Amino acid sequence: MGIRIDLRQRWIGIRVALRQIWAFTMRDYHSWTTYRSTVYTQIINIFIGVISWGVNATYVNRQVSQMYGTDYISFLVVGVAIGNLIMPLVQGVQSELNPWTLETILTTGMGTSAFVIGNVMWRYLFSVFTFIPYLIIGIYVFHVTLNANVPSVIVAFIVSAAILLGLAMISTGVRIVTKSTDPITWAINVLQSIFAGVAFPVVYLDTIFFPGVSMISWLLPQTWVYHLCRLSMLTNPSLSDPQFLIQLLKGSVFAFILFPVGYKIFQWGVNRSKKEGTLGWY
Amino acid sequence: MTAEYAIETIDLVKRYPTRGPTMGRGGGRGGGASFGLFLDIIMRKKRPFIEALRGVNLQIKRGEVFGLLGPNGAGKTTLIKILCTLVLHDEGEAYVNGIDVKKDPHAVLKNLQAVLPESRGFNWRLTGRQNLYFYALLYGVGKKEAEERINSLFEFTGLQERADDGYQRYSTGMQRKLLLCRSLLSDAPILLFDEPTAGLDPPSAIEFRDMLSEVAKERDKTVFASTHNLFEAQRMCDRIAIIDQGKIIACDTPDNIRYKAFDERILGITFHEVIFNEGHKKMLDELEKLYGIHSATPEINSDGIFEGITIRLDKDMDLSSILEVIMKSGLKIKMINTQEPTLEDAFMEITGRHPERRMRRP
Repeated sequence: MGIRIDLRQRWIGIRVALRQIWAFTMRDYHSWTTYRSTVYTQIINIFIGVISWGVNATYVNRQVSQMYGTDYISFLVVGVAIGNLIMPLVQGVQSELNPWTLETILTTGMGTSAFVIGNVMWRYLFSVFTFIPYLIIGIYVFHVTLNANVPSVIVAFIVSAAILLGLAMISTGVRIVTKSTDPITWAINVLQSIFAGVAFPVVYLDTIFFPGVSMISWLLPQTWVYHLCRLSMLTNPSLSDPQFLIQLLKGSVFAFILFPVGYKIFQWGVNRSKKEGTLGWY
Repeated sequence: MTAEYAIETIDLVKRYPTRGPTMGRGGGRGGGASFGLFLDIIMRKKRPFIEALRGVNLQIKRGEVFGLLGPNGAGKTTLIKILCTLVLHDEGEAYVNGIDVKKDPHAVLKNLQAVLPESRGFNWRLTGRQNLYFYALLYGVGKKEAEERINSLFEFTGLQERADDGYQRYSTGMQRKLLLCRSLLSDAPILLFDEPTAGLDPPSAIEFRDMLSEVAKERDKTVFASTHNLFEAQRMCDRIAIIDQGKIIACDTPDNIRYKAFDERILGITFHEVIFNEGHKKMLDELEKLYGIHSATPEINSDGIFEGITIRLDKDMDLSSILEVIMKSGLKIKMINTQEPTLEDAFMEITGRHPERRMRRP
């Protein structure tokens, strides 16, 4: 009887959390639709973005056989599309960090998970919509070769989302306390621009700098986000493929560490700020 | 602790870290958040602090409209933020409907809603209705129920005509009404307001105050409001507490606070015109000899006309003996005024900010 009541209460709790996530999504959607010119410019940006990257890649097109067995344009367009898909996960929670909304939303008594997921949901859904035209333009205009395995893509995206949400929560938790730049995320982002392999395969770092330098890349969580997504979209790996599974497992280690750590740091940040009396500060 | 009270605090203490070298007292929050602060926290460095609350004890009954008065920096907002779980206290205890605010903040927030003017939390691009709907879902209210509650709240606050206008088109008064709607969405039994009418013009302030009183009486809510507005407190609150430098220094009904603050009152008596003479002088001497009279000052104009007397007397003194002495002297009384202390007088007296004690006509 007690277990049944407990399960019922849990189910009610989940329903409330889902409703809260839905509330954030609809609020952000409604708000987004009021910025008409922004809507148009965002759509235009998708096309301009993919075309500019595509033109650059066509100019320097070369084989990326070492890691993904594909050409550079496929590698780059897929990378840009992934970047476009995942960055909102990092930006979403931080965008809510202002004194006018944070305090009020926290007084509704909502849970941390619903707060975090709710704040990224609309941005993420929007980026999924923009992800598709990126790929369509890539395939039909720049002849990108996709070799995607859908179940593997889904798993890779889930692992990537966990890694990035973990990073977002770490950054947000620290920023709630410092009210300024988060040194951890800043350092990771600086390293990412060189080492994460957004625009080139990380193994080329060994030839550009010195042998072994690409090891640094594999210590960065973002490298694994790009790597797992590219593997699943460019090399058609099945989920039973041991090579892919090993890579997935390595990436998952980051997810398993960063997600709970991020969650704890976010909660620590909120509590610390409550103790300092600075929650409403910006 | 008992669940007898809607709100109860026991020896509540709150300290804020500051960059300053000294440990001060009183409300204002010190120190800024920064990367340096982050390093201090990591290195567990002890920093100087100021005490915003210094052992606050309050008991607020269910259904009461309770006002918290205090000068700037007295600790009002800190106390409200502790009660709505936005600030963690350092020592003491705080309970909302018997629930410890530190131990179970989620349960506390089911019993209490706070309206903090500086943290509006509304999206400027959405309509009033969309904003309320968003919060209704965050409070866990179902879709249909949310729509019903929102419509009824718009009707209550008179915002129904403007419900579908963008929030950015709302006047300050309308924005404040929307805040009230939001606080009532979750149907929490306790409502906290920090400076509820600050920034409103007088008609809007009166309207908002009336709405709060109606909410408390007809919807059976406990209302806890901090304010600088003494007139508002006197008019709206069943009881008030005065907080200064982080301590509650008085807590009672507005009338009791007014009377307890002073041990005397002032009686003003105006006479029909008569030239001041020796008989009147004797009458004044006789008055001053009466037990309970502190002073009797005649008001004589430049033509020597005896216009009236101002008498300072014990606040509980029987006035008949005074009138008897005056009548005996043959003076004809035109008007009698009892000059009552206002809540503002009492507040200034209690907080020690009275430049010189003075009474005002009601």
